[in-house]
Amino acid sequence: MEKDILIRVDNISKSFRKVQALSGFSLSVSSGSIFSLLGPNGAGKTTLMKILLGLVGSDSGSVTIYDLPVSSPLSRRNVRYLPENVTFPSWATPEVLFRQLERIRHESSTEEFRQRCIELECADLMKRPLGKMSRGQKQRVALSLVTAGKPDLVLLDEPSSGLDPGGRILVRNLIRNLSSEGATVLINSHLLGEVERVCDTATFISRGRLIAEGELDSLSRQTGLAYIETDNADNMKLSLEKLGYSCRKESKGVVAELPDPSSFPDLARSVLDTGIRFTGMNQMRESLEDVFLRIMQNDSEQGDDIVS
Amino acid sequence: MFLNGIEQLLRRKIVLTAAIATVAFLGLYWWGVSAASSADLSMGHGEADMAVDMLGPEDAALAAILTAGPLAATLVTALIIVIGSTMLPEEIGQGRMPFWLSLPQTRLKVYLSLGLAPLAVSYALALILFGGIFLITSIYFPFTARNIPFVFISMLAWLTVVWAAVMLLSLVLKKIASMLIVFFLSSVASLFGGLYEIMKMFPGETPKALETITHTVIYVFPADRGYRGVLYGLIPADAVITENLAFFGVTASVPSLHLVYAFFWSLVLLSIGYWKFRRMDF
Repeated sequence: MEKDILIRVDNISKSFRKVQALSGFSLSVSSGSIFSLLGPNGAGKTTLMKILLGLVGSDSGSVTIYDLPVSSPLSRRNVRYLPENVTFPSWATPEVLFRQLERIRHESSTEEFRQRCIELECADLMKRPLGKMSRGQKQRVALSLVTAGKPDLVLLDEPSSGLDPGGRILVRNLIRNLSSEGATVLINSHLLGEVERVCDTATFISRGRLIAEGELDSLSRQTGLAYIETDNADNMKLSLEKLGYSCRKESKGVVAELPDPSSFPDLARSVLDTGIRFTGMNQMRESLEDVFLRIMQNDSEQGDDIVS
Repeated sequence: MFLNGIEQLLRRKIVLTAAIATVAFLGLYWWGVSAASSADLSMGHGEADMAVDMLGPEDAALAAILTAGPLAATLVTALIIVIGSTMLPEEIGQGRMPFWLSLPQTRLKVYLSLGLAPLAVSYALALILFGGIFLITSIYFPFTARNIPFVFISMLAWLTVVWAAVMLLSLVLKKIASMLIVFFLSSVASLFGGLYEIMKMFPGETPKALETITHTVIYVFPADRGYRGVLYGLIPADAVITENLAFFGVTASVPSLHLVYAFFWSLVLLSIGYWKFRRMDF
């Protein structure tokens, strides 16, 4: 529905001297989604994010947030942004920084900030200067600062940067919580495993152009592999190999290679025919990394065709 | 945002150093003036002693203020150049500018708020320094200043010119280059500002080329007019030696129009700086 579109990017272009960062780029982001921008280095992801915030002006086209042009500060009223590699003053404590932010936002959300700090397990760092924190601790504090309150749109540039596995899990939970609170979250990250775990939709950008977009499930294809979950993996593997399938054993089952992705029903019949007890079977789908590589490969080949 | 800028500046070592230097300067000044107040100036010659006897406390105050003034001015100028040239580049270099600009505030507000902080801190320091000089002097050599309100306005005009120039240059040049250029301009403006006052005492007797250069410097970088206004407003109204010093243009008044021009000039530079800042991609 029209009213659900939060971000509307219409045919924008941006160049930095001779480098074309974005070219005829259009995009719509629905309210409440967890959205990721994916693409190789220099694809134009950060430029797009900065155009959304009015930090970089586009050469042509229009960008609106809630139908307000991004040149207006009002469009950023409930928008939060965490840049990559931001360095806050080393003397400042999280409490001081939050007070500074409250002054600018003209709002008080100290309690929400405390809650966010508890959520990101950095509540004990409130009075510690940032200069005396590790990189991961600073990142947690920065995420708490940015996401406290009731934001409508949160833009995160490499949010898991510098975090240990525990910290990454907390960030995933934070993103899900923000979404459940009604916020739209836009993530720019190269950590595809993290993106895959939290995002519902993705946009692939290459050489300043949108090359694919959609829900993650619809973007990933079924592969030529099937997974059979069984306690009797050795026998299952032997039986399927006798039927001509190439198999490998995994911890709680067997991965079988299909002659072609559409022959999964044939394998299913073969598994039933073996008479060996199994608890589950499914055709494996591409991971986001596979999708990314495939889409980029296609784009590269198309680009080569155009050049040749 | 302005308060955030002030908070940030007050934590910087350069501001702490300037504060310590101010305290040390005023301490030394106090010591020197108190020593001078109890000194015996008689020289053992009849005529010289008569001349000394003609001088009042106002004359001693004038001498003290004119000695300390340039030193205090150098300290304040150095501070405003250093903190003024680093404020915006540091926010940009540390990656904080995108963060501030992503908040619901205009670029003009960010530019002025962050920019005004160094001006406010330097103005406060200048008030403490020149206020301290005035107070210490008047304790030992009681006098009535010529025009205290004029001091406040002139000081603002002087610092605003230096600040606007350094703000603009810091956006287009490297930090160190902008500092050096503004320091050079301030020194040249001070030199030609003095020449300008002397030239007024000898109308028509100055080489045309020197006159042209002097006027050009005065109008291209009008900081010295403000500084001279500070000295003019601060010195005693009725010192005997004032007329002699006036001959060298030291105690000449500064027309209000010159201060208005200084403010206008600053506004032009600030506007150019903002134009540049508004077009910057972060």
